[in-house]
Amino acid sequence: MNYFASNRIIAVIAALCLLPGAVMAQESPRVLRTTNSPPTPSGPTPRTPAGHPDLSGVWDGLRDNLLGPPNQMANAGIVVDGVTSTRDLFSGAQIATFPRNTNHVQNYEEDERAATLLRRMGSNRPIYKPEYWAMVKELDANANEEDPANNCMPAGVPRVGIPSYIGQFPTYVIFIYPGLGGLIATQTSYRMIPLDGRKHTALQDLDGTYNGEAIAHWDGDTLVVDSWGFNTSTWFEQVGGYFHSENMHVIERFHRDGNTLTWTATVEDPDVLLEPWTMTPRVQLLNPDPKAVLPESLPCSERDLAHTVTKEHH
Amino acid sequence: MSAKAKFTNALIIAAVATLSLSSAAAQSDKIKTESGATPKAAGGADAKSAAGDVLDRSKVLRAAADALGMLRWSDVGAERTRLPAVDVVNRMEIWGSGTSYGFGEANKSGVPGPASKIEYHVALGYNPPAMRVEMTRASTGGTQPAEGTPHTIQTVRDNYAWNESESGAGLEPGRGTATPVMAAVRERLLQLWILPYGVVKAAIAAGDKTKVSSENGATIITFPLSGQLAGVTVRATMDARSFVTKVETETNNPAMGDLVMEADYSDYADHGEILSDLKSPGHIVEKQGGRQLLDIQVKMADLNNPYLVFPVPDNVKKAAAQEPVAVKGDATR
Repeated sequence: MNYFASNRIIAVIAALCLLPGAVMAQESPRVLRTTNSPPTPSGPTPRTPAGHPDLSGVWDGLRDNLLGPPNQMANAGIVVDGVTSTRDLFSGAQIATFPRNTNHVQNYEEDERAATLLRRMGSNRPIYKPEYWAMVKELDANANEEDPANNCMPAGVPRVGIPSYIGQFPTYVIFIYPGLGGLIATQTSYRMIPLDGRKHTALQDLDGTYNGEAIAHWDGDTLVVDSWGFNTSTWFEQVGGYFHSENMHVIERFHRDGNTLTWTATVEDPDVLLEPWTMTPRVQLLNPDPKAVLPESLPCSERDLAHTVTKEHH
Repeated sequence: MSAKAKFTNALIIAAVATLSLSSAAAQSDKIKTESGATPKAAGGADAKSAAGDVLDRSKVLRAAADALGMLRWSDVGAERTRLPAVDVVNRMEIWGSGTSYGFGEANKSGVPGPASKIEYHVALGYNPPAMRVEMTRASTGGTQPAEGTPHTIQTVRDNYAWNESESGAGLEPGRGTATPVMAAVRERLLQLWILPYGVVKAAIAAGDKTKVSSENGATIITFPLSGQLAGVTVRATMDARSFVTKVETETNNPAMGDLVMEADYSDYADHGEILSDLKSPGHIVEKQGGRQLLDIQVKMADLNNPYLVFPVPDNVKKAAAQEPVAVKGDATR
């Protein structure tokens, strides 16, 4: 092998050594968000020929809102504004915030235990009648066995959250909630909601369902979806053991501002709650790709529960 | 040397340099992950500044919070988000048993009152500040008869204090009795803020008003309380692991004498059936004005922000509107 031949081999190896650096340089630096603040609206709010805001679109710009603690903390009203500032939206309380302890690398168990706390630290909670306080606590503590959404059952309304797709038509709207897994292994579900001025079916004439019977109307620029006629096989929030009766009544409000969609749900259930409860508003971002489509849902298959040996849970 | 050869050599030199830098970076990462993974390393000895003796307030408070496990983050499903460490402690329950002491001879300082064996259960929250203390007196252990009823529930939330005949009394027709005890607001709130978590939260919230010092090898945190408890100063002692072991309160206002408290905490551990990595004291001793008040051995704790609520009954709100918070002792204890 001559000098040039051997050097060519070395050069090829050298080029391979340089390659990872070059590839890394081509990727934009991995910018990790240190906040979970609601996104600031931008762009115009499109309107339909009838003059209503057009809510149509793929609303997954912040990804699945059932997924990780950042979104779940936001859902619970905990807004991390930066590396030294966190607040509770409901109470206005400031929460001590420090940079991560970089000397402490968390393992999976520590991550999960922290997530359990983070998901529940918000101050906005439904007020059950006192005779149900212990029951709610027990349901939450034993969620591995008790959570009705485990084993791929539907999350139900309003636990299902913000739809990832809205199709708006003059007399109805379509909501699609892909089963992306995440916190709970839920099914894909959809709702077709009349927007034609019809009234509810009498409650006693309805067979309870997971999503209930929904009707919608416009309140100014806000779409109001009114649902009743539920079964009792769901909890009405992602965590907490928040069971309900078959007399639950849910009022959801959807408001579009540019590329953001704000959703709130009020739960009325005089059978078990002392007073109506309104969730902390959640904000979802429009998928920035105008050609975005929903990905196919993963098949729901729960394989872990049978192997749990402790009460630690999401 | 030809241009081709020069290019080849340059490429080799660049590769060697890249490999050297990668290796150095890897070693640096190794150093980062291997150095001090304990809360003590996060604070403790490191809490002294480069100057040596002057304690760094932020590091001391950080160490105290880390020792208890209060500052947490999680990357489960976090994707491109890396949130900082936040104080996760809001609501908790603690169960224990021990001794409660009533008022002693003419309420003299240092003279223990009649002792009662009790079962102790406390449910509390910091946002909003609230506490429900349930004590069931089992038997008397002293020379004098036990004071009060066998079972008491003392509750406080924000500016309201009341006693409950059962948990949640007074919220629904026919469900027990809620008796306003506005005079007890401050004293009950103080119980909340002298717990180790309350001390760390309040010390952080006090900002520049919080002072740290070192006495006989122990770290001392001193800070004023605010709101309803303005006028009370807290002095907390931390051990070498940065756990709060002693809390003492003082005030210059003679009318607030009942707010002079002392609490000792020891035997820290994760006492939860469902582990949380939060530590709670296993032994709690409280004194008021030098008089023994409580001596509790903790049996279990649920620190996972369980479902605990403290709605204020309407009759308590009405009573509060007519009777502003007074500075008096809690005669119902």
